[in-house]
Amino acid sequence: MSSSSTALRELQRDLENKANDLSKLQKDIAKNHQVRKKYTIQLGENELVLKELDLLKEDANVYKLIGPVLVKQDLAEANANVRKRIEYISAELKRLDGSLQDLEEKQHSKREAILKVQQRIQSHQAGKAKA
Amino acid sequence: MGKPEMKGTVTSLSSVFPPEEVQKAAKMVEGKLSEKQSEMNQLKEFIADNTSLINLVQKLPDELHHDIMVPFGKAAFFPGRLIHTNEFLVLLGENYYADRTAKQTVEILKRRGKSLMSKVDALKAEMQDLKAEASFFDSTASEVADDLVEIREYEEDNSPERVSQSGPVELESPSVAEADNKVSASEDDEYARLMLRLEELEKEELAAEDDGENDEDEDEDANANATETETDGDEDEDELTEAAFHGKKDEGYSSLDHNQRYLESQPRKQLQQSKGKDPMNEEMSTKYNHQDLTNQLACTGLTAEPVTKGNYGGEIPHGRIVHQDTKMLNPPVNASVPSGKKPVQTPKSEFDSSKAFTGSIIEHTENLEKKLPEQKTTSSQASDSKPSKPMSRFKMQRK
Repeated sequence: MSSSSTALRELQRDLENKANDLSKLQKDIAKNHQVRKKYTIQLGENELVLKELDLLKEDANVYKLIGPVLVKQDLAEANANVRKRIEYISAELKRLDGSLQDLEEKQHSKREAILKVQQRIQSHQAGKAKA
Repeated sequence: MGKPEMKGTVTSLSSVFPPEEVQKAAKMVEGKLSEKQSEMNQLKEFIADNTSLINLVQKLPDELHHDIMVPFGKAAFFPGRLIHTNEFLVLLGENYYADRTAKQTVEILKRRGKSLMSKVDALKAEMQDLKAEASFFDSTASEVADDLVEIREYEEDNSPERVSQSGPVELESPSVAEADNKVSASEDDEYARLMLRLEELEKEELAAEDDGENDEDEDEDANANATETETDGDEDEDELTEAAFHGKKDEGYSSLDHNQRYLESQPRKQLQQSKGKDPMNEEMSTKYNHQDLTNQLACTGLTAEPVTKGNYGGEIPHGRIVHQDTKMLNPPVNASVPSGKKPVQTPKSEFDSSKAFTGSIIEHTENLEKKLPEQKTTSSQASDSKPSKPMSRFKMQRK
């Protein structure tokens, strides 16, 4: 009886740990989602800028705001910068997607493990009740 | 058709959709809906700001310089002048600015406005979906609260009946088990619809031909209705009758031997027919033995006629013919095999011909000899020559 109760306690501790891990995973997933959203918005904005830059004439003045300074930039340079930024953002998004999938899988497996532990606890308790 | 096996399930809605969960789901949807609503409000504000900015930018170049109160720091102003009224430093996004004139600025702003509008539209669509979801959840919740029970019955003979709840229809209970029945049910429905359509067409046709045939039409219609309920069996019969008809056709219509062959094929067809039809057919055969040729010719002619009329689409004549064949033991119906063949008309025509075309025997025989060389152009001519019905029908038959 006592052994079963200690076993029961162990199982419960195990369950707690797993639950903590699961909540951590969920937080990670939520963060991932947020960052992804941000990047998606930035990507959209950059695409808009690229469109506008394409509509500008060759000799138009383009400025970039770097901190409190508005710096005059070359149209070609600005174009190149914006394009590079777009590429960078897309790469980041892809990376985030991959890690998101990873996290989701881990979460899934954690959930299953938790279920198993719960079932074992239940069977233990049932056994205890019978005895 | 044997008696359909029935299985039934009675499920209480509250077991399928537990009430708390339904309420939770409803609340979640409501929350999302309010989120979208606030987003929508924000977007609308942006749009309003944008339009007022466009107006301002358009007004500024009206003067060379404007006298204004310039903001100075957080809480001070001083009087000053706004010069270079046509030069604007426009934010393109992501910390990029560009020098533009008033007109160009307005264009940029308009483009921004357009993208905002499209975002608003997308949001609206999302909100619609959410609203539909919410209403569904509400109805489910009310159903569950009312302790409604869902009853389903399955039949094995392809004519499934779904007796739904005692209350409102359960939208979301898809029954995978019923999927097959539903498919066959839909097929049956189409079938029935095609039959009805064909009947209507036939009726019009025959009414145009002879009023005296109306009685037969009604009889046949009744038969058609009776036979419409039969589903699988019909198709089998159709194939059989088709085979029989082909056999008949091959023998050729050019001779009076058709008479005998028709008689032979009839008993065959009778065997194939279902019970209800058999007595009719037998009756027909006995009655019209002496008119076999007439029947044949008339049937073929009549069948051809409906075909011409019924060339509305591959399926309608086919479907129609299926029924008709089963009823009338009449030949050619390629209902199951939609092909270029013109389906021959169904029992209706046969009956009609038997009764009304006693005198037409002569016509047919005359036409027979004439038609022989004209077989190849049957279809096209058949469709064109409505007045010369016997001829066209015959042509169709030949095919």
